[in-house]
Amino acid sequence: MRTLERGDGSGVDEQPELVKRALAGENSAREELLVAHSRKIYNLCYRFTGRTSEAEDLTQEVFIKVFQTLRTYDAAQGAFSTWLNRVARNHLVDHYRRTRKDRLTSSIDEDAVQIEARPSQSTSPTEQVESRERRELLQAALGRLSPDMREAVILRDLQDLEYEEISQVLGVPVGTVKSRINRGRLELARVLKRMEPMRGQGTEP
Amino acid sequence: MTHMELENLVSDYLEGQLDIARRVDVEAHLDTCPPCRELTAAVRETLALCRSAEDVEPAPWLVPKILRATVGERKLTWWERAAAAVRPVLNARVAYAVGMAVFSFSIIINVAGINLRHFKAQDLKPSTWLYQFNRNGHLLYARAEKFCYDLKVVYELETRLRQLRPQSNPSEEPKQSPQPEAPAGGSTLDRPPAAPQLAHTGQLEKGSWKTPGRSSELSSPYAVTAATYVKKSPGSRFELPLVFSFYTVSSVRSITR
Repeated sequence: MRTLERGDGSGVDEQPELVKRALAGENSAREELLVAHSRKIYNLCYRFTGRTSEAEDLTQEVFIKVFQTLRTYDAAQGAFSTWLNRVARNHLVDHYRRTRKDRLTSSIDEDAVQIEARPSQSTSPTEQVESRERRELLQAALGRLSPDMREAVILRDLQDLEYEEISQVLGVPVGTVKSRINRGRLELARVLKRMEPMRGQGTEP
Repeated sequence: MTHMELENLVSDYLEGQLDIARRVDVEAHLDTCPPCRELTAAVRETLALCRSAEDVEPAPWLVPKILRATVGERKLTWWERAAAAVRPVLNARVAYAVGMAVFSFSIIINVAGINLRHFKAQDLKPSTWLYQFNRNGHLLYARAEKFCYDLKVVYELETRLRQLRPQSNPSEEPKQSPQPEAPAGGSTLDRPPAAPQLAHTGQLEKGSWKTPGRSSELSSPYAVTAATYVKKSPGSRFELPLVFSFYTVSSVRSITR
């Protein structure tokens, strides 16, 4: 489903035209850009931070920045979505650095909450709950990766970008992207494995 | 092939991006090395988990919120405005409050005697409401009073019937009641049926109608008090409720005893 969304050529073709109109001050064009891309950017922010409210704020900040710096976008250098992803990614990394201090102090409480919250959810046998649980588990595991690996894995495995696109977004060579993704996946697998028994303990009582 | 080498190749292997020679190497190593096999399986599972993870749905207010922050206030269409106006009302507490308000309003309208089908300008005057309220109150009271007096008549008739029955065999009643006061109070007064007062009806009915065998009930101080009270002021409008309450008390006592 995601690949379909990404693969639709019509959206990509319209983008430079839309950007031109948005630059000319047409509010409807800005709105169209926002509607077309907010979901993707929101998801990127959510995967990176793991919190919906934070992801909402970040999405808004990203788009404010995007509309402020729309002039710097050059259609010849690549697709609008790649440029947008780069802006978002830079903003996320900035945000990560800004808030590192807060996170160090609050991460312990957060983990405790997550572990406590899990048993009550897993008692319900429905598949919906199970999938939500898996999603939360994945999100918690992503949060334990270093931001470099995290963003690479998110862009590749959750947002389905190609290696070249990721390399453009991150501004690093493809080889580096590949190695980050590989290390990220290994680390994610290990973290998930460590979290599984913890989850099992939680469900027993 | 070492573990380290395999770790470096695991993504490419799982994505099918290795050439034949490398893939054969990797698979050969996996065949002989359980930890690496386990690791590869874990990465494969992780990949599947990531790929199966669906997009998170952003909150519905996200786009409008960002629009306000970037483009500025957009002119809302009429239905968006209507939806925004209705949204705060659509919660249970408000709906309940509105329901209760309508309910009490309808009661007030009813009591004030306003007919919404034939609404008149006069209905808006507070003096009309007061008049109607007063009128309805009196009507209600009068109806209650009439009901009580109707009951009184019924009891009176019943008592008369009972009076006729003991007269056919008058020797029974005194025998059955061991205590002297109660039958004496009832029967001596009742025997001359020339002027049957309310007091007689109240007393007799208590003893004979409920439990003829246990006429000791009649001696209960409540019944006597009630009888004397009613005798004193037969025209008082409180007499009947009082008699009823005493009657209820004594009958409840007789049941619970």
